[in-house]
Amino acid sequence: MSESKEKNPLVQLFDTFFGKHWPVWVGGIVLGLLNILLFAIKSPWGASGGITNWGDNFYSLFGLFNEKGVTAISENNYGMLVLLIVLGSFAGALFSKEFAIRIPPKGEMIKGFLGGSLMAIGATVGIGCSIGSFFSGVPALSGGAIVFAIGLFIGVIVSLKYLLWEMEKFPGWSSGKSYNFLAAKPNKGNWQIIIGVIVLIAILLLSYSYSKDNMVMSWFIIISGLMGLISQRSRFCIVKSFRDPFMSGESEGAVGVIAGLAVSLIGFTVIKIFGIGAIGELSLRARELTWVFPHFWAKAAAGGFIFGLGMTIAGGCAVGTLWRMGEGQIKLWFSGLAMVLISPLSNKFLVPVVDNILPQSAKFRNYLPDYLGYDGAFALVLGILLLWYWFVKWNERTGRFSAF
Amino acid sequence: MELKMTLDCKGLSCPMPMMKVAKAMKDLKSGEMLEMFGTDPGTKTDLPNWCTKTGNEFMEMTDLDGGVTRMVVKKS
Repeated sequence: MSESKEKNPLVQLFDTFFGKHWPVWVGGIVLGLLNILLFAIKSPWGASGGITNWGDNFYSLFGLFNEKGVTAISENNYGMLVLLIVLGSFAGALFSKEFAIRIPPKGEMIKGFLGGSLMAIGATVGIGCSIGSFFSGVPALSGGAIVFAIGLFIGVIVSLKYLLWEMEKFPGWSSGKSYNFLAAKPNKGNWQIIIGVIVLIAILLLSYSYSKDNMVMSWFIIISGLMGLISQRSRFCIVKSFRDPFMSGESEGAVGVIAGLAVSLIGFTVIKIFGIGAIGELSLRARELTWVFPHFWAKAAAGGFIFGLGMTIAGGCAVGTLWRMGEGQIKLWFSGLAMVLISPLSNKFLVPVVDNILPQSAKFRNYLPDYLGYDGAFALVLGILLLWYWFVKWNERTGRFSAF
Repeated sequence: MELKMTLDCKGLSCPMPMMKVAKAMKDLKSGEMLEMFGTDPGTKTDLPNWCTKTGNEFMEMTDLDGGVTRMVVKKS
């Protein structure tokens, strides 16, 4: 009898989830489904709004930037979502004994902060990050989201060229002393699983604490905790999907994101057509325009480009930064810190300047069904996803656009 | 066959370990081997996948103390 047949079925189930990484496409599909649930109970997945909420709360401690009043993190769905992505990933890393405090060489921490700063500027100018403006924006049938994606592509390619140049000319910037603490020893480290159980129980108790007065928050906590855990297990990352075809030529990350977008596209379209969660004609229109931001076309293009630059330098998009924080990557802690600190500053000082410069025709809500109908908008987005799939698979086979 | 090159990627996160390995492999001749020490969990999946795609041979993966993983790749 083989060893696996002798194992307790529950241990086998645990090993299935935490023994090895999940294929990215599995993570993408499950994340797409959870995103539909978030939309059904309130609004889709996003990260930069929650990160800005953290920054606003930080500055308000010093009496800064709180003229309009700041919502407490504990009362802000997306502020809590950001925290729960980190905690969910923390639990996932602990269950798989992958957690460690990983301190990189100094140059990498500087790049983490720089990348996070650019992501903060990109997300505030572009009204959304790689999740809100892209992973949720595209299936929300937003024309601006498609422009944001084009900006991301160009930003990633420019930034990847910079990284290749830096590695050639200044290899010392990504070398040097590094430290690793609290890592599990090979075939040991069950203490990580025990702490993982404690973290999971804490997440459930936190959710329960909201269940009487704020059921939406209660479910946001559960779903975003799961999103963090699934992102960590499948290593789901938007930057990987855009970058790898042009770096190593691999398509796995892109296929995972395409799978998640396709699933969300179906669910979001159904929610919008049937007005699920809407009450009355006015809120039906509001439901249709959910996650269709007033950034078409210039704000989306500029924001996407700057965000693409930043996420490639940091080595993690918005969610990629958060779940890597959960598994103890200190480079991404610097990236997350920069996003928290810079987002409110950009909102206060840079965004008003951009808004003043751009005419209304360069920053409006473009809802694709208004121009193409639901059939045409759905077909257009699906066609773009299929074209992207075909490109990354063709490029993987031929290596036509990959650097290595 | 002896190892031709050792890469220290400890402390580095995605994409730096893969970029360094891919660049270093360009300088190796067919049949030569490279060992890499890293701490990023993602590399444990990324490097075997990259080898499958490029035709290089993924020879060995060993978890060491301190959360370090040693991986050996042979150039095709």
